Amino acid sequence: MRRQNQTPNSNIDIINVIETKLKDKVQIQLGQLGKAAIVTSNGLHRDVLKAMVEADEKTAIIAITGLDLGANLGVLYHIRTSNAFLTIRAEVPKDNPKIQTVIDIIPGAVFHELEVSDLLGVVFEGNRLPGHFVLSEYWPEGVYPLRKDVKASEIKLNPPPPEEEKQPEYGKIVKIIIGPQHPALLEPEKFAVTVDGETVTKVEPRIGYVHRGIEKAAESRTYLQDVYLIERICGICNTIHACNFVEGVEKILKTEVPPRAKYLRVIALELNRLHSHLLTLGHAGLEIGYETLFQYFWRDREPIMDLIELTSGNRVYASLMTVGGVRRDLKDTDLPKIKTTLEDLRKKLPFYRQIYRDEPSIKARMQKVGVLKREDALKLCVVGPVARGSGVDIDVRKDEPYEAYGEIPFKEIVYTEGDTWARMNVRMNEVEESINIIEYAIDHLPTGPFRVKAPRVVPAGEAVNRVEAPRGELFCYIKSNGTAFPERVKVRTPTYANIPAFLKTAIGENIADVPPNFVSLDPCFSCTDR
Amino acid sequence: MIDFDLILRILIFPGFTFILLLTLFCDWVERKLEARLQNRVGPMVAGPGGILQPLADFIKLLTKEDIEPRDAKKTVFKFAPLIAFTIMVFAICFLPIDGASVLSTTGFNGDLIVILTFSTIASFLLFLSGWASCNPYGTIGSARVLTQFLGYDIPLFMLALTPAFIAGSLSIFVIASSQTIPYILLAPWAFVLFIIAMQAELEKGPFDVPDAESELVGGLETEYTGAKLAFLHLTRDVQIVFGAALVVELFLGGPYGPVFFGLPAFWYSLWFVLKLLAVVIVAEYITTLFARLRIDQVLSANWRIILPAAILSLMLTVAMVTWVYPLV
Amino acid sequence: MTKTKKSRISPMWKRTVSHIFTKPATTKYPFVKPQLPDDFRGQPVFDIKLCVSCGLCSRDCPAKAIEMVEVEGKRRPQFKLDQCIFCYQCAESCPRNAIKSSVFYELATTDKSSLVIKPQTSVKKGA
Repeated sequence: MRRQNQTPNSNIDIINVIETKLKDKVQIQLGQLGKAAIVTSNGLHRDVLKAMVEADEKTAIIAITGLDLGANLGVLYHIRTSNAFLTIRAEVPKDNPKIQTVIDIIPGAVFHELEVSDLLGVVFEGNRLPGHFVLSEYWPEGVYPLRKDVKASEIKLNPPPPEEEKQPEYGKIVKIIIGPQHPALLEPEKFAVTVDGETVTKVEPRIGYVHRGIEKAAESRTYLQDVYLIERICGICNTIHACNFVEGVEKILKTEVPPRAKYLRVIALELNRLHSHLLTLGHAGLEIGYETLFQYFWRDREPIMDLIELTSGNRVYASLMTVGGVRRDLKDTDLPKIKTTLEDLRKKLPFYRQIYRDEPSIKARMQKVGVLKREDALKLCVVGPVARGSGVDIDVRKDEPYEAYGEIPFKEIVYTEGDTWARMNVRMNEVEESINIIEYAIDHLPTGPFRVKAPRVVPAGEAVNRVEAPRGELFCYIKSNGTAFPERVKVRTPTYANIPAFLKTAIGENIADVPPNFVSLDPCFSCTDR
Repeated sequence: MIDFDLILRILIFPGFTFILLLTLFCDWVERKLEARLQNRVGPMVAGPGGILQPLADFIKLLTKEDIEPRDAKKTVFKFAPLIAFTIMVFAICFLPIDGASVLSTTGFNGDLIVILTFSTIASFLLFLSGWASCNPYGTIGSARVLTQFLGYDIPLFMLALTPAFIAGSLSIFVIASSQTIPYILLAPWAFVLFIIAMQAELEKGPFDVPDAESELVGGLETEYTGAKLAFLHLTRDVQIVFGAALVVELFLGGPYGPVFFGLPAFWYSLWFVLKLLAVVIVAEYITTLFARLRIDQVLSANWRIILPAAILSLMLTVAMVTWVYPLV
Repeated sequence: MTKTKKSRISPMWKRTVSHIFTKPATTKYPFVKPQLPDDFRGQPVFDIKLCVSCGLCSRDCPAKAIEMVEVEGKRRPQFKLDQCIFCYQCAESCPRNAIKSSVFYELATTDKSSLVIKPQTSVKKGA
């Protein structure tokens, strides 16, 4: 069931709320790092968050960034409410890096806190995990990679522990490991699923198998080289990662991108969204054993890959974005081909929509599976089609329009059932919206330059930026220190925010429902681990 | 005295070699049809049109390394697939392929029940092979195989009795040869239900839960490699041929059809192969159409729908045979 | 829950049957090669006559795939194709447009040394 975009709390001025409740205890810097940056200290950050959560039910944590500030470690909480996007700052000294956890106020913060404690050494009281979260088990103790005094080439790993003898268990299944290598998963992660008969009782994740240290690598490359590095966080949503980073750098530089470049960026981003959604819709069919649907979807995805090749020169890594605009122009001779391909895809959509809506075996496998209720979706801070399938209408393209999205009309798709079927249908309908956006952008393409020159040395400053990737909201935080190399680059990917939702929805379900449930999240582990 | 004719019949035609070649051919037909339905090409390199692809897969598996887990039950692990394959081939030998069965006899009264029992034993041996591999995926996969085929055996037996009622005998030869009008026209409800129950027995189509690689990696095949895996796959394929051959014998008139000129044996085998291919095509088409059902949905479909429908179909057939057909 | 074949036929059955009669959507590579656009980012082609030895391509390469080597007394770029990510930042940074794209993409080889494109006085296209 679709719902129109309605935000009952959209008139709340969250800055006002904080000012009235905690006046003189916090310092509010307007216009910095989003709508405002609120400077607090250890302990006060919980009061600020509590005040926000009580005032606005749609408060969610986007990410928690850790910074190495020399003698202190900075902890930034990036928060999103119904109509604002702001940051809470706190600092802890390096020799005693303890700070209180916030997972009792917002449960969705658990993954973010664990990552900061793993990579920077901040101890969150009340949220400790034995062993590592993102780093491997052989990582040496006490070495925190994102601190400035640690060089990546000097880290030595511990030797692996000796193999232990395990007693064979005949006929007694307690723990199934959907392990790092598994036909259901495209990329490696480990989920230890505890079952009782056929019902799942607990899911323990272990992420970090694809951790490549991209955030640390970005600190030793120039901004121009970083665009290509950040683009390679993920293969499927590569264009949006590059766009996210480039927009952040442009915010620090305060460059204005020409209008033609904005429209060209929108076309590239929507082509990326099209191919990503078609990939997921086909892959979902494969998980439930529907190979025919998989082959059909991927056959219809090929013309989109050809379009990406036409506009950017490569089928997968478009490499179109650069600081100041796009790298190549769209030729007028290419426009008819783009239009005919999109027309052909549009003609095939009613068949696919009917399959995902009415096909009996899909309904048998996907309805009432993996239900995520609206309150849980708000508390766990999920993003993207997972949130929109549970009735939470957040979409960065509508809430805070970037590039040319403010000028292009399109619909936001929201379903209220919250199960796997609703999430797949959200993506199915978004395919048509993407086609509409591309056609509108082509028809209204402004003339002019597609690129402006940008300086290579970026002045000191900080910026946050968020965009809507195919899987949800993508966020980055960039800090520059006046040289040609960035000081800190932090990227929070949408799948990272959605995995806690899977851990909750899988409990109480049949073990056979775990793959469709999981694939409806649209997991992308290269994004998750960076 | 050594009966060379019998030995040739057992080993070459219509015995072991013929069944093996027929299995590989049916595998190719299935793969090519599935590919065409999915708008792609299918096997195309090995041999003309890819017809040697199943043989190439078999030989490739024979050349791979054969690993056994340390804790697996050795004897059962090694021999269960082989014995299952042997039993299935033996069961096919009872069916009249070129007018008479492989053993040149006309069978005996009750051999329908015997070959259905053989099929059950072979499935049970497949279950044992997964159980003996001492792997959590194998254990769950084989438990699913057991629940599924034991559940669907009951309606399968009942539906197989329907042609027996119409023919008045439990001998396959009598059932096949007394079909002046094929039983698919006399009892179409039984045919449809038999096809569905056969899909579930053979673990094909929407019922291929034990094959569900997205949850169970390999199901009962997880620990098998090399030559043993080749025989496991071959057993699966021979089961499909067996199921299709049973449908042909019981409902489609067996190998009997018009003989135009020359040897009746040649024409009978030709009709047999053509009818077999038609059943295989229908079964593969049903597989392509639907997604895989969950194990509890498969079992509830059995006990709530297929089994009552089988009982009703039996009652309907008895009523038709006793009162309606003698009038026609 | 079962598949109700009788009451509501899945829209798939008509579509699958119709595909038996249509041409398969497979491009039979390597017997049939795909058509590529002209500005496809294949193997980079280096024109030594235009090079001024500034070294900007090597400095800007994100993958560190370009190394400046001495050829006939001048510094010229040497491309390592096994490290190249084909982003063509080198082509953008070059002030004289000495690096151009080509549509050659079949670079797989069993000999790793053939993936190092040495700058020579005569230009060779293709691997």
